[in-house]
This record gives sequence, C-alpha cells and structure tokens, in this order.
Amino acid sequence: MNRMSDTIITVKGLVKRYGKQVTVDGLDFEVKNGEIFGILGPNGAGKTTTLEMIEALRPIDAGVVEVDGIDVAKHPHKVKQIIGIQLQSTSFFDKLTLREQINLFAGLYGAEVDPDTLLADVQLSDHAKSYVENLSGGQKQRFSIAAALVNKPRVLFLDEPTTGLDPQARRNLWDLIAQIKKSGVTIVMTTHYMDEAELLCDRIAIMDKGKIITIDTPKNLIKSLLDRGFSKPQVVEQANLEDVFIDLTGKELRD
Amino acid sequence: MMAYIRIVLALAKAYTLRFFRDKAALFFTFLFPLLFLLVFGSLNSGNDDISFDVALLNESKTSFSEQFVEQLESSELFEIDSNVNDLADARERMGRGEIDGIIKLPSGFGEINDQGQPDGDIVTYYQKASPQSGQTIASLLEGVLEEYNRQLGQPEPLLGVEQEAIETTNLSPFDYVFAGLLGFTLLSLGIFGLANQLPAEKKTGALRRLKASPLTSSQLILANMLYYMLVGLISVALMFVVATWIFDFSMQGDWISLALWVVLGIIMMFGFGLAIGGWANNENQSAALTNLVAFPLMFLSGVFFPRFLMPEWLQSITGFLPLTPVIDGLRMIMNEGRTIIELGPELGLIAIWTVVIYAIAVRVFRWQ
Repeated sequence: MNRMSDTIITVKGLVKRYGKQVTVDGLDFEVKNGEIFGILGPNGAGKTTTLEMIEALRPIDAGVVEVDGIDVAKHPHKVKQIIGIQLQSTSFFDKLTLREQINLFAGLYGAEVDPDTLLADVQLSDHAKSYVENLSGGQKQRFSIAAALVNKPRVLFLDEPTTGLDPQARRNLWDLIAQIKKSGVTIVMTTHYMDEAELLCDRIAIMDKGKIITIDTPKNLIKSLLDRGFSKPQVVEQANLEDVFIDLTGKELRD
Repeated sequence: MMAYIRIVLALAKAYTLRFFRDKAALFFTFLFPLLFLLVFGSLNSGNDDISFDVALLNESKTSFSEQFVEQLESSELFEIDSNVNDLADARERMGRGEIDGIIKLPSGFGEINDQGQPDGDIVTYYQKASPQSGQTIASLLEGVLEEYNRQLGQPEPLLGVEQEAIETTNLSPFDYVFAGLLGFTLLSLGIFGLANQLPAEKKTGALRRLKASPLTSSQLILANMLYYMLVGLISVALMFVVATWIFDFSMQGDWISLALWVVLGIIMMFGFGLAIGGWANNENQSAALTNLVAFPLMFLSGVFFPRFLMPEWLQSITGFLPLTPVIDGLRMIMNEGRTIIELGPELGLIAIWTVVIYAIAVRVFRWQ
C-alpha cells in the first residue's frame, strides 16, 4: 500500500450555488480509507448536495473532489465505476424481481456477480423472486444497499439509510453497515440520528448552512464539549424508552 | 465497444421483461390497435354488398340519354356516385375502390338514326384486376337496354354495351384503413409510450438510480429504442395476422421492404417520444405536448381517414407531415408491391424528420 491510499476522498473548496443561494459553501475535508465517515446536520444543511457532487450526480460549481485519486469533475464515469450509491428515497423499476434487478445493475457495470450470494449478504434470500414494490421499508433499504454493492465498490455512499425505519430494522441495518465496513469498503453516510452516528461512524463532520462546523471522532467531539465545561442535568437512567421498546418487542427483524 | 453494447442489452432486457409483465401495457399496446383494426376494418370492407357503386358520366346531349340517366338513377340496380366530375376523377376513385365501375354514355348515344330510332353503345370501364365486376355491370345494363331494344322491334339490337378494362392502382378502402392503422400503431407506440414512460421514471427516481451507475444517456436511449423496436414489430405482426385472417389482406410487396419500413417508422416516431419525454419533468408537461404533436398527425396524416378526402391545398401541406410518408410508403409496399428502393421521396422525408427530431431530442434530454 502506498501513502496515498490512507486517504480515499479529498474535497477542496467545494461549492454549489443555486442562483444567488449558496447551498454548499467551500467545503474541505478528507475521508480515510476503510472508515465510516458521517455527515450530520439539520435538514437543508447541504448534506445530500455534497454527497451528490462527490458521487458525480450533480455538477460541481467550484472546488475539486478526488475519489481514489480520480478527479470527479473530469472523469465522472471512472468515479461511478468504483463507488456504490444508495440514494435517499431511491426507486427501482417495478415488475422486476430482486434477482433480475441485481443482474441488471451488474450488467450496467459490466460486473460479474452472483445475485443469490449478494442477496444472502443482506438477508433477502427469501425474496429473490419478489418485486421491489412488495418489500417492506427495511427490506427496500437493504436491497438498495445490495444494489449499490454489485460492482464491489471502494466507497459506499449511504444517504440517510435508516430514516423511516422501525427500531428493529434500524439495528439490523447498523449490523449490515458494520459488516460492509469490515469487508474493507469505505463508507460515507449522512444521518439525522445521533445515536446512529455515535455507534457507527469513525469520524463525523457536522454541517450547517452549507459549511462544515467541525470534524472529529464522536469521542473527541463529546470530550471537547465536556472540556469546555458543558454539563446537562444528570438523570441517572440505566435505560431509555427505546430500550423498553426493544425489550418488549425483541430485536428480531420484522419484515 | 462490446462493453458498451452489453450495457445497452442488459437494460433493454430489463425493459422488455417489465413490459411483458404489465397487463395494462400489453392491452393498450397490442390489443388496442387490433380493436381499431376490427372496427374500422369492418366498416370499410363492404365489398360484399349487393348494389354496385358506379360513376355515371353522360357525355351525350340527346333527350334519350337524359331519359336513360333518369331511369338508371331511379332504378336500384346501381349506387350512383354523384360527386364524380369527369373520367379522370372517376378512374382515380375506382383505383381507390370507392366505385366498382364507370358507365359512360358517349356523345352521340341515343341519337335518332335514319329509321327515327335511338341508336348507340354505352361504354363501361372496369378494373382489369376485377373483370367480374365489369361483367356484372355490363350485363345489368344490357338487361335495361333489352327492354328498349324489344320496344324498338329491330332484328339487330340498336342499343348495346361496350366493355373496357382499365388499369388502376386497385386499392380497397380497407387498404387505406390498414396502412393508416399501422401508422397509428407506430405513432402511439413511439409518442405515447416513451413520452409517458420517461417522465414517470423521472418522478419515481428510477432514472436517477440508473444515472448513479456508469450508464450513459446514449445507452439509455439505445436500450429503449431496442425495446420499442421489439414491441413495435410484434404489434405490427399481430395486425398483419388479423388483417390476413379476418379481412383477406393479401401482401403484394416483399416482407423485407415492409419490415425495414416499419423499423424506420419506429425509429422516427421514437424520436418524437424521446424529445417529449426526455424534456418533460412530469406527466402533465408531457401529456400536453404529446397531444399537441400526436393529434395533428393522427388526423392529418391519413391515420383515420385517407388524405385524398382533404381539399387539394391541405393535401399538399399534410404531405410533409412526418407520419404521411410512413403511411403512404406502407401502402405502396403492401398494396402496390413496391420495394423500399422505389420510395425515394418518402424515404427522404422520413430521413429529414428523423435527423431533425433527434437533434432536438438530444439537446433537450434531461435525466431529472
């Protein structure tokens, strides 16, 4: 491994404007090879726009983005070959079975893939012959991730992967994401959920109004807040409502 | 290059699979044109009715001929088409199958001869291809004349019938209907199909998901074109089956010319759908634009009624519409046995429209 491979994504001075409005305002950051990098922020912070510019889905107005040493603006096609994308509110073709969908996407990448193995990886073996429109929310998200893995990508982009899922499905997806990370894929994800970010992400960028306010590991971010003398009223609770919910309904996935 | 084609084929296969699982799409694509064919075909294949449609041209100024005309008009032997102006017009109508024959009372027919009796021969024209209708018209007329001849009481009948065969294009109303409805199939497939499909895919985000892969817009377009080509050829083939079985359609030309012509028609009409659907962001935009383009073509290109019914000036304008050369060409191949090489002007017009519409389509195409 050469030195370059420590960093897989480099973003320098990234800007997106819509008319006079600056949606993404001069972002600089790097994503390290093999980590899960989280982008957090309120709605409208520019998370999705940032992601889509890195994914070569949206024109870059200013700045440079490199993925694995490839300039995204100059070689969008080369970049698409080595990344996997799970879009927010993704839709797939109807009237195609999951197996056929996987074959279609593999075909679009010119990749050889065994649909059944891939579907087994995301626990959808039983649904290989189902249509996407008949899947539950959690199943859809898992399928969406499977479809993003057909080309064995170096980087996987997940845009709010657990939004709208029930607690069981969320936990299940977290396991899946951790498992994909273990296989050596770098993951860049956005989320609204702090527990999710804290649990999954190696490093976090917090965005607001098109700018990155801070980047660090979740631990360091919490520590620096505490170091600044932050304290909240301590109520020693050994459990919260979600724990109750999971305890009562079980961890087992409901599809 | 192979990699490029493989991607196109993978997507075309997916589209085709989906199509054959969509019952509504199957109905509208395959059965709808067939229903049209059954309805319009039955309305226009009235060849087996008993009365004969003829044009009656009276070039004689005699009172006998006028009296004879009146008698024919009041008799129920013939259905006389009163819109016919002259022989050339009558021949054209006979070529289109509007009338079965032409009855001409030549100048001098019914003139009084030396014995003070009317004399002369009627001329009937019939299509060379259908001598039986010529024979029938002649014998019906002879039956009428026999009465006169008997009254005149001459050993040799004074009044007679001459038959003359003429060669015309020999098209039946059904031929016009069939070519028009084939044109309708290509039109609805190309325009309605794609102009609905692409905005819908933009709305659901399916197109966005495809764009996240290395698929290029040219591959997307080619994959769709292949898929529409397949569906179009099946649809046209079904129409030929129905036309042959139910309406006794017989193919005069060669099937290769016909297949090529259909393919060219699909490619051109696909371009219209692509321009509309590629540009439109939602179904409202595309629906408005589709109607704007499709309806004039439907009513002015000879789809539902033949262009020869239009006034001259309108005929010459509508001759330049994109669907007109497609329909005319189909008819010339199917009914007149021409080959694709003999259809230069039609081919040229299709080529021009194809280039123009694709130039527009590529410019206005949007992924989202």
